[in-house]
Amino acid sequence: MKNFKANASLMLFVTPALIVYFIFKLMPAVSGLYYAMTDWNGINKTFVFVGLSNFIEVLKDSYFWDSVLFTFKYVIVMVFVTNVIALLLAVVIENLHRAKGLFRTLFYMPNMISMIIGGYMWMFIFTKVMYYLADNWGWTFLDKSWIGDPKYAFIAIIVVATWGAVGYLMIIYMAALQGVPAALKEAALLDGANPWQQFWHVIFPMIRHAVTICVFWTLNSGFQVFDVIYSLTGGGPGRATQSTAMNIFEEAFRGNVRYGYATAKSTVLFAIVLVITIIQIRAMQKKEQEA
Amino acid sequence: MTKRLRLTQILVYLFLTIAAFFCLLPILMAIMNSFKTNGELLTDVMALPKGLSFDNYIRTFNKMHYMRSLLNTVILSGLSVTLMVLFSALAGWRLCRTKTKLSAFILGLFIFSMLIPFSSIMIPLYKVVLALGIKNSLVGLSFIYAGLGVSMAIFLYHGFVKGIPIELEEAAAIDGCNAFQTFFLVVLPMLKPVTITIVITNVLWIWNDFLLPLIVISDNKKYTLLLSTNTLFGQYSSDWTAILSALILAALPVIIFYSFFQKQILEGISEGSLKG
Repeated sequence: MKNFKANASLMLFVTPALIVYFIFKLMPAVSGLYYAMTDWNGINKTFVFVGLSNFIEVLKDSYFWDSVLFTFKYVIVMVFVTNVIALLLAVVIENLHRAKGLFRTLFYMPNMISMIIGGYMWMFIFTKVMYYLADNWGWTFLDKSWIGDPKYAFIAIIVVATWGAVGYLMIIYMAALQGVPAALKEAALLDGANPWQQFWHVIFPMIRHAVTICVFWTLNSGFQVFDVIYSLTGGGPGRATQSTAMNIFEEAFRGNVRYGYATAKSTVLFAIVLVITIIQIRAMQKKEQEA
Repeated sequence: MTKRLRLTQILVYLFLTIAAFFCLLPILMAIMNSFKTNGELLTDVMALPKGLSFDNYIRTFNKMHYMRSLLNTVILSGLSVTLMVLFSALAGWRLCRTKTKLSAFILGLFIFSMLIPFSSIMIPLYKVVLALGIKNSLVGLSFIYAGLGVSMAIFLYHGFVKGIPIELEEAAAIDGCNAFQTFFLVVLPMLKPVTITIVITNVLWIWNDFLLPLIVISDNKKYTLLLSTNTLFGQYSSDWTAILSALILAALPVIIFYSFFQKQILEGISEGSLKG
């Protein structure tokens, strides 16, 4: 009876959050499984249950798997590049005596700006400024088709995405570095450790939780990458830089309007993300226990 | 020794300066070229503009309905975050204070979905939007953001409430406050630090979110800043002076916001992520 009263009062407070959460997150997630098995589209008024045929079509859809492969490539490169640069900047800036706040503020700045705006700004750099520098300043190594050639378009996307993400990760690493007691670092130096050893054996183990958080964040946001590619290459040339999120978006909202089929694709994407997250949590837990 | 130390220091500052320059490069290039005429821009992108003409800005200011888009974005972010904070503070506090199986179940229900990527739910969500008739509704979109954001916010509130003593709430109850009075008069003020974190991270998310408004809003009177900018980019595909001035206009509110609240923003970001 006491529990009943407690629960009743709990429900009173939880209901508003529960309603919006249920309608806009949980229900779409669950009903998606059903829509994925229908031929729902934006043209016909009615739709019917078609079983697993959408999923079978997804398996054979080479554009979709190309986009999955591209997304994997993007995620792997981003996890390494952004985390290494962010950690490097964090360590260097933490050790500064002067202008610490200034650099922190500057490096975080791109993160404030939407990647749609950032992507268009960089497009100007890649399509106008680079050629100018190559033609007039003799920097011929910049004379590449940055948006038009799949290989360089990938590099361009990585550059812009890194530009946008590093500041955020750097802030997290800096907060973690501030948590490392100065006495520990000094003790290591007294024991004759060089800065390199000091970093790997004393500091790094103490900021491991931040590494976990940052890798997790890069993985998670990487698999959903949309804005930066949308604004920079639009998925092109052709479909060479199309991410999975873009592929799903195009299937549903551009041209095809095959909602059911696109939902099947998004279900597959969720399954992939879920498996990778589980593997990652397992691996990270193991590492943290060993440390 | 000191000489070597000095040299490393100079190298460190040099490295950081170059990195900072790279960081600001697209913004600086956009500002510089946005003041040029088309002819100037085509002849030399690296030169300083000949004069400080705001013609491009005036042109794009009107073309992208700047004030209307800005107001839409402010309303959207403000309403979304207000709903999110209110709903999740109520829920997070009560979930923490109630020790029943139901409470643990509901908390789990909120948290488990944090793994679901947005692109996985966007199409069924679009169906919900159509069914509720909230396509092109900024208020409706705010409720969607609240729904998508409550999980993380409840998680943060729940963790924060654990750390505050229950005695104050009990005292308020003895003084005759009902649960809602206790919440608004006693609890909510104590939650201020975590509320600031939640407000900052979510305002930034919603302000810069593109995909969800792109799906829900198609009426250009309801366009957010990003949607207007994107449309303008399509219309002026090769007129870079117009595009760059529009980009600067679109980025301006965040840059101003950042320069005033950078301390709170940077703290909020690291708080939110290390706890979450």
